[in-house]
Amino acid sequence: MSEKTRIYLQPWPIRIWHWINASGIIILILSGAQIRFPETLSIFSSYKSAIEVHNTAGIIVAISFSFWFFYYKMVKNTLDKLYIPDEEDIKHGLVRQLLYYCFWYFLGRPSPYHATPDHKFNPMQKSAYLAVMFVLMPLVGLTGILLLNVTPLRVLVLMWGGIKVIVALHFLLACSLLAFLCTHVYLATLGDYIKPMLIGWEDVEEHEEAEPAPEVVIPGYRPVRHYPEYERELLEQRHS
Amino acid sequence: MKPADLQKMSLLAKLALCAWALAGLIAQANAWGFSYGDQTANNQACLSCHGKTGEVPKGTYIDPQRFTQTAHANLGCEACHATVPANHPDGNKVPKADCRECHSGISEEYARGLHASKTACNGCHNPHLVQNPKDVSGQEINMICSNCHNSLEMTAKHGEWLPQSELHLRMLPCITCHTGARDYYISMYIVKSKGDSRFGKREVAEYDELKTMAGGRPIVSLIDTNRDNYVSLEELRVFNRTQTSLHLYGMMTPATVSHKFEILDSRRNCSFCHTSGSGPMQTSFIAVPEADGTFLRVPVEKGAVLDALYAAPDFYMMGSTKNAKLNQIGLAIICCGLIMPVGHGFVRFLTRKNRKQKEHQS
Repeated sequence: MSEKTRIYLQPWPIRIWHWINASGIIILILSGAQIRFPETLSIFSSYKSAIEVHNTAGIIVAISFSFWFFYYKMVKNTLDKLYIPDEEDIKHGLVRQLLYYCFWYFLGRPSPYHATPDHKFNPMQKSAYLAVMFVLMPLVGLTGILLLNVTPLRVLVLMWGGIKVIVALHFLLACSLLAFLCTHVYLATLGDYIKPMLIGWEDVEEHEEAEPAPEVVIPGYRPVRHYPEYERELLEQRHS
Repeated sequence: MKPADLQKMSLLAKLALCAWALAGLIAQANAWGFSYGDQTANNQACLSCHGKTGEVPKGTYIDPQRFTQTAHANLGCEACHATVPANHPDGNKVPKADCRECHSGISEEYARGLHASKTACNGCHNPHLVQNPKDVSGQEINMICSNCHNSLEMTAKHGEWLPQSELHLRMLPCITCHTGARDYYISMYIVKSKGDSRFGKREVAEYDELKTMAGGRPIVSLIDTNRDNYVSLEELRVFNRTQTSLHLYGMMTPATVSHKFEILDSRRNCSFCHTSGSGPMQTSFIAVPEADGTFLRVPVEKGAVLDALYAAPDFYMMGSTKNAKLNQIGLAIICCGLIMPVGHGFVRFLTRKNRKQKEHQS
């Protein structure tokens, strides 16, 4: 028998940041597309308004990114734990999650990972967010800031290899972010991810018969966190 | 021979003589109108004094080297200063021709523009130095404008509506926006970093500096390595990769120059340049400085400024200079992002019964 409990997964500052970031990135993609392909796209009324919207949205996203970093690193101090995959994630978690998405999900089996406030992301999420939030976003933001201030930051522009290198990098990084966005939105529909990002709470099924995880006695074994299935298997082995 | 035949022959001879004389006159007229002949010797008489700084008042000095390169030198001094008195120099000013006598079309065009009430032809052009705009760099054209229009003031004024105004004013000849030209090309000129550093302040490279760098060879050989008077994309890439202190700056320059100066509303619309497509970006030239102050105009292979990285690394115009290969790579990246939603989504749809069954069981 099981009953539903609620856990507070996404605190309000993160929810506000997420949706500012999401709308900002969508506006950046649309305005950026018009800036690059003005002869085929006219989403905004004029080329100048597309540039102004792009610049404003870029500054807002850059500020919100800084806020995100400050909040997780300084206020909650959980940035490393949330975003950097640990040894177990790399050794087994990634493969397990990949197998779930590629096979188990289609067979109707449950996700091997369950989110908690301190471990919100599965190993694949961790790896993807690590690349997006620590490489793509900072790089696209920095190249954008350089393009916004070509004359005052002339030396920095030259240090990066010149304006054409920066433009090429900015464009390809933006394409990568759009590619990530497509995957991110799709994967959000595979589980209960959208509701917690809107209201903060997630409904979790809790099994009454579930006992606390036993102490592990196998020499050299490291406990796998947050994989209920795996923990159940261990429990069964112990009882038998 | 009959007397009548003799009379006929005499008439034919007279007609032939008239035709020859008329042909001679036409030829002479053509010679005056279209082939000015060699006026060097005639000019030399004037330049023997006016070509020396110490011998004439400052305002009447004429740089012989630069004057010789002008179209006016071919006409000769007397074409404009016809009535030089026999007792010259007598302290009186020598009369000079009105530009309108030859350039009536340009004069009429100029009279319709904003400059007409501000200055005359000589406000911008020194007739002893003037050259065709195609034969000079875009930066050289702007130097004429900056004689009256203060650069800082203009940057501030344009900055009221133009984003990154300093960058725009540095990368465009004023006439691109302030005359109603239709066709454009990219005019490139050589700049040099101070202290031979890649990051040093960049200024227009002087002839002497470039000559030294070329090591006795013509300056153009720094870029046009095979000396065929044509710069290929590969030659440009090699130049940009190997030269640390020399760089090429480009300007979108009108192919035909109008003298009607105006403030055109269409140029306030960014799309005039930025949605101009790759067409005007295909043609480009490099203005290489010569010893006499003129420029050698070297054509560049088509599409230099559209190259992804190295053919013209310092020339970028949003929307117009996008590289096709980069677009393809970008599209490929986006398609990779669609593999999961499309591929996984399709299998998800096919296996939807499995999940419903499990939910029902639980």
